[in-house]
Amino acid sequence: MDLFLQRLFDGLSDGSVYALLALGIVIIYRGTGHLNFAQGEMALFCTYVVYQLGEWGIPLVPALLLGMLVGFALGVTTEVALVRPVAKKSTFAVFIVTIGLFQGLNWLDGAIWGDQVLPNSAVSKQQQFPSLFPNKATDFWNIFGAGVRIESVGIFAMVMVLTGLLFLLFNKTKVGLAMNSVASNPESARLVGIPTNRVLSFSWGLAAAIGALGGVVFAGQNHTVNMSMMFGVFIYASAAATLGGFDSPGGAVLGGLILGVIQNMVAGYADVWVGQQMKIGVAFVVIVGVLLVKPSGLFGTSKVERV
Amino acid sequence: MSLFRAAGLTAGYGPVTVLQGIDLEVNEGEIVVMLGANGAGKTTTMRAISGVIPRQGTIEFQGNSIAKSAPDQIVRAGIAQVPQGRGTFPELSVEDNLRAGAFVRRDSAGVAADIHKWFGVFPRLGERRDQRAGSLSGGEQQMVAIARALMSHPKLLLCDEPSLGLAPLITQELFEVIGNLNKEDGLSVLLVEQNANLAMHLASRVYLLETGTIVAQGSAEELSADDSIRKAYLGF
Repeated sequence: MDLFLQRLFDGLSDGSVYALLALGIVIIYRGTGHLNFAQGEMALFCTYVVYQLGEWGIPLVPALLLGMLVGFALGVTTEVALVRPVAKKSTFAVFIVTIGLFQGLNWLDGAIWGDQVLPNSAVSKQQQFPSLFPNKATDFWNIFGAGVRIESVGIFAMVMVLTGLLFLLFNKTKVGLAMNSVASNPESARLVGIPTNRVLSFSWGLAAAIGALGGVVFAGQNHTVNMSMMFGVFIYASAAATLGGFDSPGGAVLGGLILGVIQNMVAGYADVWVGQQMKIGVAFVVIVGVLLVKPSGLFGTSKVERV
Repeated sequence: MSLFRAAGLTAGYGPVTVLQGIDLEVNEGEIVVMLGANGAGKTTTMRAISGVIPRQGTIEFQGNSIAKSAPDQIVRAGIAQVPQGRGTFPELSVEDNLRAGAFVRRDSAGVAADIHKWFGVFPRLGERRDQRAGSLSGGEQQMVAIARALMSHPKLLLCDEPSLGLAPLITQELFEVIGNLNKEDGLSVLLVEQNANLAMHLASRVYLLETGTIVAQGSAEELSADDSIRKAYLGF
């Protein structure tokens, strides 16, 4: 029981990161029908920015907010400068552009922050990437005999609050109405006077800002930021979006959490079979399974129209 | 008095020119009907006026040029379009569809009052206000599309084949609503149709479009009197 609770909360905490990245993927996909392959790398770039701000002595929370702002700008710039010009050609062209962006951003990270694990903890301690929540070995709460890490609970709570705010944005504001309209029928959205280009730029900005938060949370969990850390996360986030439904923000969050929990349970209880090294396989099993059984995901809408 | 005027309107898709420079006018309080077969360029005309496709030529609305205006500016100026074939937001509720139609407005109290008003005009929409628009019948969706267009308080309503795929009785009902809006609120309408019997009854004037060119125009009586036109478009 205690191990179960521990794994549950660790799973929710891991899943929260997948949820944040999956949210970004879904927000872009439902607006434009584009899969942003660079979602993880955009998040990583912002995480490095937050790291750099920390190096300059800015406390973590303001640094995070600045990092999310940088993320927003990066998202908007990407949409305007890279995606929009090729979007007219084909969706596939956009996909290729985002793969290019994936590589370009990773190269940029390497050029600025070096191709090495930061921090190199053997050399300097202050290069550690800080967590938003207490995460020393002693920072846990005792719940029913389970040692639940305060960080896990904090991250989960934060993602729940963010999900609530996004729910309000999508369902109670004019911006949300505009985003939903563009996602539902772009031509009609233009015909009622919604500036669809601005809505799409905003979607990319929002997605990248949420991704930045995901990157910072993930780096905090691992006490470190390095150039390859988002590869796996992006795969999990894609699996989460597939599971929840590519056009459902709520589904993305739930998909991420479910995936995090499954993955921790499988790695914990079936460690002989799967273990820590192979648990990424869980993501592939989920992707293939969902696509076979319910291609639109748990909460996604399969496009059905009455005629 | 001229409300809307287009001259030498040319538009198309990529290298294909569909509209070969047409002249078009809608006076205040008129219902103007544009007839044409499939592929004549009717929908292209509508999309060109609304600014969702590139176009050339003169387009004036209330004396101001809107030839270079973006779609949202054109809605703000007072032109709204009911797109062809249930151009609703299928995933959004009926009420959100109407709310989206009022996107260019800033008076939230007025918007709420208007939504209430349209649920009075179309009681069936009021009953289904929380349902996804995509789950409604074809006629109900067309009502959503019309009410949504009118939420922006247009002076000119563009209707792109509202009868498409609807039962004749439902088409008749919709045309009655459009006729009433014209009589009671003085709404000007540019209506595009392929099957024109009903539309002819509403029309103040009629344009005939063939392969991107206007080949005939006049009052409904004048055009119905022409034998060849009657056979080709009215079927009697």
